Amino acid sequence: MAEAVAAGDAPADSARPLMPAIAWRNLWRNRRRTWLSAGAVAFAVGLTGFAMSMQAGMYGTQIDSATAFFAGHVQLKRQDYIDRSRFEHTIDDVTTLVRDLESRPGVVAVAPRVEAFALASVDDRSFGAQVLGVDLERERRTVRFFNRVAEGRMAEQPGEVVVGSALARNLSVNVGGEVVVLGAGKEGGVAAMAATVTGIFNTGMADFDRSLMVAPMAAVQEAFGLGDEAHTLVARIADVDDSREVAAALNADLPPGVVARSWQAALPEISQAIEVDALGGVLVYAIIMLVVAFSVVNTFIMTIFERTQEFGMLRAIGMRPGTIMGMLQIEAFFIWLLGIGLALAVAGPVVFWLSVQGFYLGEAMSELAGQQLFLPDRLHAKVNAVVLLTSPLIMLAGVQIAALIPSLRIRRLRAVLALRAE
Amino acid sequence: MPIKLLFQMSVRNILRHRRRNGMMLAAVVVAVAAVVMMNSLIRGMQQDMADAAVENLVGHVKVLAPGYRDDPGIQKNFELASDWRPPDGVAEVAGWAMRVRVPAVIMSERGTRGIQFVGVNPRQEGISFLSSARMAGESLKDASDGRIIIGQALAEQLETGLGRRLVIITQGADGLNREAGFRIAGLYDADGEGMEKFFVFTGVDALQKMVGAAVFTELSIRLHQEPALFALKEILVELFTGLEVLDWRELEPQAAAMFIFADAAVLIWFFVMMGALVFGLVNTLVTSVMERIRELGMLRAVGMRPRSVVAQVVIESSVLMLIGVAVGIALGLAGIFAMGDGLDLSLWSEGVESFGMRTLLRPVPLFDDVLLIALLSLGLGVVASLYPAWRAIKIKPLEALRR
Repeated sequence: MAEAVAAGDAPADSARPLMPAIAWRNLWRNRRRTWLSAGAVAFAVGLTGFAMSMQAGMYGTQIDSATAFFAGHVQLKRQDYIDRSRFEHTIDDVTTLVRDLESRPGVVAVAPRVEAFALASVDDRSFGAQVLGVDLERERRTVRFFNRVAEGRMAEQPGEVVVGSALARNLSVNVGGEVVVLGAGKEGGVAAMAATVTGIFNTGMADFDRSLMVAPMAAVQEAFGLGDEAHTLVARIADVDDSREVAAALNADLPPGVVARSWQAALPEISQAIEVDALGGVLVYAIIMLVVAFSVVNTFIMTIFERTQEFGMLRAIGMRPGTIMGMLQIEAFFIWLLGIGLALAVAGPVVFWLSVQGFYLGEAMSELAGQQLFLPDRLHAKVNAVVLLTSPLIMLAGVQIAALIPSLRIRRLRAVLALRAE
Repeated sequence: MPIKLLFQMSVRNILRHRRRNGMMLAAVVVAVAAVVMMNSLIRGMQQDMADAAVENLVGHVKVLAPGYRDDPGIQKNFELASDWRPPDGVAEVAGWAMRVRVPAVIMSERGTRGIQFVGVNPRQEGISFLSSARMAGESLKDASDGRIIIGQALAEQLETGLGRRLVIITQGADGLNREAGFRIAGLYDADGEGMEKFFVFTGVDALQKMVGAAVFTELSIRLHQEPALFALKEILVELFTGLEVLDWRELEPQAAAMFIFADAAVLIWFFVMMGALVFGLVNTLVTSVMERIRELGMLRAVGMRPRSVVAQVVIESSVLMLIGVAVGIALGLAGIFAMGDGLDLSLWSEGVESFGMRTLLRPVPLFDDVLLIALLSLGLGVVASLYPAWRAIKIKPLEALRR
C-alpha cells in the first residue's frame, strides 16, 4: 500500500518536488475513479464552455445586427423628442454638429436622420408611412441598411424614394411608380412630396417592410419645412462594447437638450433580452457545477475511506495532517487538470468548428431569429478570455473545496486506531 | 433468489456507506429539483407566449379572405350574417368574434400616426385582450357604438385624451378614401406598448358604415383547449369554401417557433443535468461493487446466480435514484410554491415583452412533465448501473476469495 509514498524508483530530488509526484501516482491507483471524476469535471467545463461560447457568439451577432444594421452604436436625440416624439423637436445646426461629432475620439461616422410620419398614396390607395430622410453617403459609412435594396437602387436624388416591400405591396406600386407623400410640416402646414420609387427593400422585419420609406434628407427637410435640422443622429463607433463610455463622453459637450444614448439605452429590449438570457444561463451553469462538485466530494469520501490505514501509517511516521490534506488538494488539482484536458479535447474542436462554420438554426427558428431577435440564420460560436476562463476557474475552486470537505476528517485521525482500521 | 431478499441486501449496502450515498443522494436531489423548477418555468413561458399570441386578436383559428394577409384592406372581405354562430357539435369553443380590420391613419391636432382600425362587437371580444385590458373611461357599448378606444401610448403620442375628437382616414370598399371624426370613449392599457400604438377600436357597425359595406375581414375563434383545434379547422374549411382558414401557428409563426423550441428545451435541460449526475452515480456504484469483491465472490461460490448479482446492483442504483427523485420532486415543487404568483421580471420588461411574454413569469408545473422526469431519471439509474453490474459478474469466485 505504501509504495507510492516511498516514491519507488524515482527518488525525490529538488528538481522534482515530492508531493506532486506522490499525488500523481496516487491518482493512478484507481484509474477508473480518476477518469470518472475527471469526466464529470470535463462534462461541466466542456458543456458550460460550449454554451457560453454560443451565447457570446449569439449576443455579439444580436448586438451587431441591432446596432450596425440600422440603429447605430450610439444615438443622439433631443430629450423631449425621446419622451414625446413630436415632429418639431429637432436638433438644430445639424451640419456643424455632425462634423463636430465625427472629430470626437472613438467616433467613426455620424449620420443625421429626419423622421416624419405621413400618408403615402398611390392613385386612390393610401397608407400611413414613416418617412426617413437620410444623408446616403454618411449612412453608408454608419450602418448597413442602406447598402442594398432587394429591387432597384437607393434613392439618391431629390424626387426619389425607396419603400419597404410590404408597403409597396399595400400601395401596389413597383419600381418606377409614383408615390405622393402628405403630412404635417413643422409649422403645422401641409407637407407634400411627390417621388419616384427607385427601389424596394425587404429586411424580413415587419416594422421596416410595412411602414418605412427612405428619401434624401434635403428633399424631406424641404417638404416638411425644416431647415438645417434633424431628429436623430446615429453614430458608428470604433468598438460597440464602448457604447456606454462613448455616449457618456459625448454627453459632456452637446448642444442643450440633446442627449447621446448608448445602444443599451436606445434599444432596451435587446440589452434586456440579453441580460435575462445570460442570467438564466448563469443559474443553469451554477447548478451543473454544483452537481459535479457533489460527485467530486464523493470521490474524495471514497478515497479517504479506503486509505484510512495508509493515512494512519503516514501519521504514525510523523507526517502532519496538513501535509496529507495538501497531498489530497494536489490530487484534486490533477483531477481538475485532467478534466480540463478532456474538455479541451472534446468540446474544443466542436467550438472551433462552430466558430468557423456556424450552426444553422432551422427554418422556423431562422424566421423568428431574423424578425424578432435580430439574428442571421447561422449562429457562430465566439471564444474569448471570459468564455475560456470563467467555467474552468469556478470549477477549480469547486474541486478544491470538494476535496477539502471530506479531508477535514484527517485532522481527527488517531494514528493507532487508523492503522487498525480494516 | 427471492426479490425481497435482494432488495433487503441492496438497501443494507446503501446504508453501509451513509456519507457517500448521502452525498450521491444530495446530487440527485439538486439535479431533479432544478430540472422540475426549470421545466415549470419553461412551460410557464411557453404558455405565456401562446396565450399572448392567441389573445392578440388572433384567436386559435381565424377565417380570412384570400390575399388579406398580403394586402390587408377592406377589399379583401367576406360576407357573414351578423348573428352567425359556429355550427353545433363543435366542442370546446370559448367564443368567436367577427371584425373589420383595416389599415388607417389617425390624426389629432398635434400628430399623425398609422394604425390598424378594428371594428368589433364588444360582446364578442371576451376572447381577446380587449376584455381584460385596464381601461380608463368607458368601453364600447355595442356594435353600433361610433366612438373609439385607443391605447394609452398612442394617446400620449397624439397628445390627446378622453372625450377628444380624432380624425381617421381609411379606404372605403369602393377604393376611395374616407375621412371621419371619432370621439375617444376610453383609453386601454395593454401588456405591450406595441399593441397600444397599433390598434384602435370602434363598433363594427360604425366601421362598416364608414367603409360603406356590410362585410367582415376576419372571423376569429377561440377554444377552451388547444387539442380541439384540428377538428374545428376541418369543419371551418368545409364551411367557408373559398376563404382561408388559418390557425395561430400559421398566423404567428414566430410564437409557434418559440413554442416548439420550448418543447425541446425541456428535454435538453433534463439530459444536461442528468449527464452531470451520471459520472458520480457510476463512480459510486463501481466503488460499491469493487469493495465487495470478496463478499460477492463468496456469494457466487455458495451458489448465487450472476443475474441475482446484477439485480442487486440494479436495485441498489434504483433505490438511490427513487429516493433522490422523490425528494428532488418534492423540493422542486416546494420551490415552485415558493415562487408564488411567479417571478417578477419587470426589471427587464422591454426585453421580456419583445419575446411576447408577460413580465410576471408564472411557473406552470405539468403532471405529465414531472412524471416524465421521474421515469427518465429512474431509467437513467438503471442504465448507469449496467456497467457496475457487469463489473460485478465478471468477478471470478475463486480469485475473489483468494484476495
